[in-house]
Amino acid sequence: MDVMSAAPLVEQLSREMGISTAAALFDGPRPRPVDPVLSPMFRRGGLPRGEIVTLTGGQSLSCALATIAAATQEQKWCAGIGLGEPAVSSIADLGVDLDHFVNLVTPAEDWLRVASILIESFDVLVVDPGFLPSAGERARLLAKVRERKVSFISLTSMPGSTEQIEITDTQWSGTEHGHGRLRSCLVQARSQTGVHRFLLPGPAGTPAEVPAPTSAVDGFERPVIRSVS
Amino acid sequence: MSADPAAGLAAGLATARSEPSSVRSEPITGGDGHRRTLVLTVPDWSAVAAAAEHDLSPRTPVAVLSAGKVIAANAPARAAGIALGNNKRAVGYRCPEAHVVAWDEDVDNKHFSAGVGALEELVARFTLLGPGTLAIPLDSLKHGYADEPSAVEALISALVSATGWEFFPGIADTVFAAVLAAGQARRVEPGETVEFLAAQPITTLEYAGAGATELIDTFTQLGLRTLGDLAALDARDVTSRFAALGKHAHDLAAGTGWTPLPDHVREERLNVELGLDTPTTRSDTLGFLTRQLAADLLTKVRRRGLVCTQITIELLAVSGQASHRTWRIEDMNENTIADRLRWQAEGWLAGATRPGSARARNRSTSARRDKTSARRDKEEPAPDEPGPDPEDFSEEGIIAVGLVAAELTTPIGATKSLFDENTGQVTHTLERLQGLFGPDSVLVPGLQGGWDPAETNLWTPWQQAASPVRNPGAPWPGALHAPRPTTVDHLPIDVLAVGGRPVGARPTGLESVPFTIRFPTGATEDIVDYSGSWPVESGWWDPERATYRTRLQVVTDSGRALLLSKENGQWYLTGRYR
Repeated sequence: MDVMSAAPLVEQLSREMGISTAAALFDGPRPRPVDPVLSPMFRRGGLPRGEIVTLTGGQSLSCALATIAAATQEQKWCAGIGLGEPAVSSIADLGVDLDHFVNLVTPAEDWLRVASILIESFDVLVVDPGFLPSAGERARLLAKVRERKVSFISLTSMPGSTEQIEITDTQWSGTEHGHGRLRSCLVQARSQTGVHRFLLPGPAGTPAEVPAPTSAVDGFERPVIRSVS
Repeated sequence: MSADPAAGLAAGLATARSEPSSVRSEPITGGDGHRRTLVLTVPDWSAVAAAAEHDLSPRTPVAVLSAGKVIAANAPARAAGIALGNNKRAVGYRCPEAHVVAWDEDVDNKHFSAGVGALEELVARFTLLGPGTLAIPLDSLKHGYADEPSAVEALISALVSATGWEFFPGIADTVFAAVLAAGQARRVEPGETVEFLAAQPITTLEYAGAGATELIDTFTQLGLRTLGDLAALDARDVTSRFAALGKHAHDLAAGTGWTPLPDHVREERLNVELGLDTPTTRSDTLGFLTRQLAADLLTKVRRRGLVCTQITIELLAVSGQASHRTWRIEDMNENTIADRLRWQAEGWLAGATRPGSARARNRSTSARRDKTSARRDKEEPAPDEPGPDPEDFSEEGIIAVGLVAAELTTPIGATKSLFDENTGQVTHTLERLQGLFGPDSVLVPGLQGGWDPAETNLWTPWQQAASPVRNPGAPWPGALHAPRPTTVDHLPIDVLAVGGRPVGARPTGLESVPFTIRFPTGATEDIVDYSGSWPVESGWWDPERATYRTRLQVVTDSGRALLLSKENGQWYLTGRYR
């Protein structure tokens, strides 16, 4: 009898796109690929789907844009809410495909409404919330994010998020007290997988590994950090 | 065709027995795929158009300047010694009474297309090659005129009496050759076009279109002085060295390139207009009227087996102002067109009459947000706020609406790529947001030329055609390199040195070491490091637009990096690295 009742359920589940095995069902959807420099920050090596990720601290907008870059290059649609007026040149520098990015200029108090409309068809949202949602609103937002398997990046900390990345330190280099210009920024970020150091932006405008000369200590440190997870 | 019926009959008989050998001076269709073409050109068209624009008598000397050089001068001006390439001072020196005007492409086109309306009565088909120049396929005249000279004479005398302009005719086997012939007012005998072209200097390729200038320079350096030299080269060699443009030039020079010109078709134009009996500012009224109008237009388009992908919406206000916007709509139907018109009208009227109305709208939408709860996504965008009271703005409203099919394509060209993921759904979502928060609330990024990130930003409302102002391909000396700020700002700030004195900037560098930034709120942040300052001079050729900027990157004690810029003695925060 049990077998009889389970059969249609299994059939129904296997008809769902992307769920082929029971393991896939438990693991949830596969995360979206991100830049290899950034992937150690994420628990499963990529931008999770159906969950809220918070990205806070200095350079967090750059970090968010660099994170979504690979998704836009795979023709996934990304939208920004409450970001002000981003500089298109830097968005392009960070690797975002401009044909799949949309910026919303809506009143700050309407962000939740705008986000809930965008969730229906967009793949990735980068939101700087104008206000923190109430517990009920948050539960509904989470349910929607989970249902549509949207990657939701919040630039302020928000209860209910599953991954928190906090950029704890930024060190710009290249200005040389009046004799140079900004070249790169050494970023230290803390996430559930440990503390990570990388350049954002690197000399080319994209995220980069910390170069060898300064990484004598880091190179020693990093494998240790990666193993802690 | 309003030609002399007897002549038409005679010509008709002549062509009825149209073995090429049987007709003496009238092989109006050239052999081997060529088409005899008559080109009529108005010498110094820009000057003629400028005179018409400014209501000047034909005897007033007129010189048209573009980029500081004379590009056209009419006959009286030439008689006074003004030559092409003179600068403004030379013009004033040679002919003080000359009327000097700046070149305006709109004026050029406007007067020409108005003037040649007279031609519609005379010939079945013609093509405007550019302002001041038009082409008529001669085979369209063979039924009306006995031979080429008489056709030209009849056309020119009719045109001159209708417009008062002077026309130079040119006839040859290809359009390009005919344009060159028109410059010399000559008729190239059938079959002699190749010889005619071979003798022309290589610089005549400038008529070939954009990009030809560089090609001419290269050809000159290679020792190709005439079109004949170029035509003598093997076509494959030219193609392999200069690609499509070179092949085009070679075809033109050899007299083989013949692309059928799109004819000016004298039929109903693909536009619809509607005058309103009483001016209105109510967007729901406009939307209702537009739906019918749009259906008419789309029926017209469909009847030709075409699909309209862009539409230009024109609104005319009582005060005579007009608003034009071109919209690209993926699923073009009367409802989507009516939506666009409504948005355009709302935005325009709000901007024109009541700057505060946008804020009022936002307030009301946020109030609505509180009322709606879980089912807010099922809720249709609420119908528009009724516009301002019609009584108040009865002298302001819109009195006429026009729709023009701006881009037409075959149905296969309009279908979306199969590889685009859920574009239709995305479109639907974004349109819904545009309906709720206005068309300018959904912006897609683009890049244009400029020095600062604020200038290179090109945010365009979703599904509107982007219109860059500055060429991204041009060199922008002093443009900011990566890493660039992530967000753009324009906030006046103070940059202070150690003693609290403002920091001045000179082309050689800063006057003192920047120590503190004071924001308009009164908050201050200490500067821990700063870049070299670099001057950016833009628009120095035009005193009206010239700005002199000094750009500086600073890192504050909180670890933030900021982009500052000093313009006209005031420091601004122009970008944040976030």
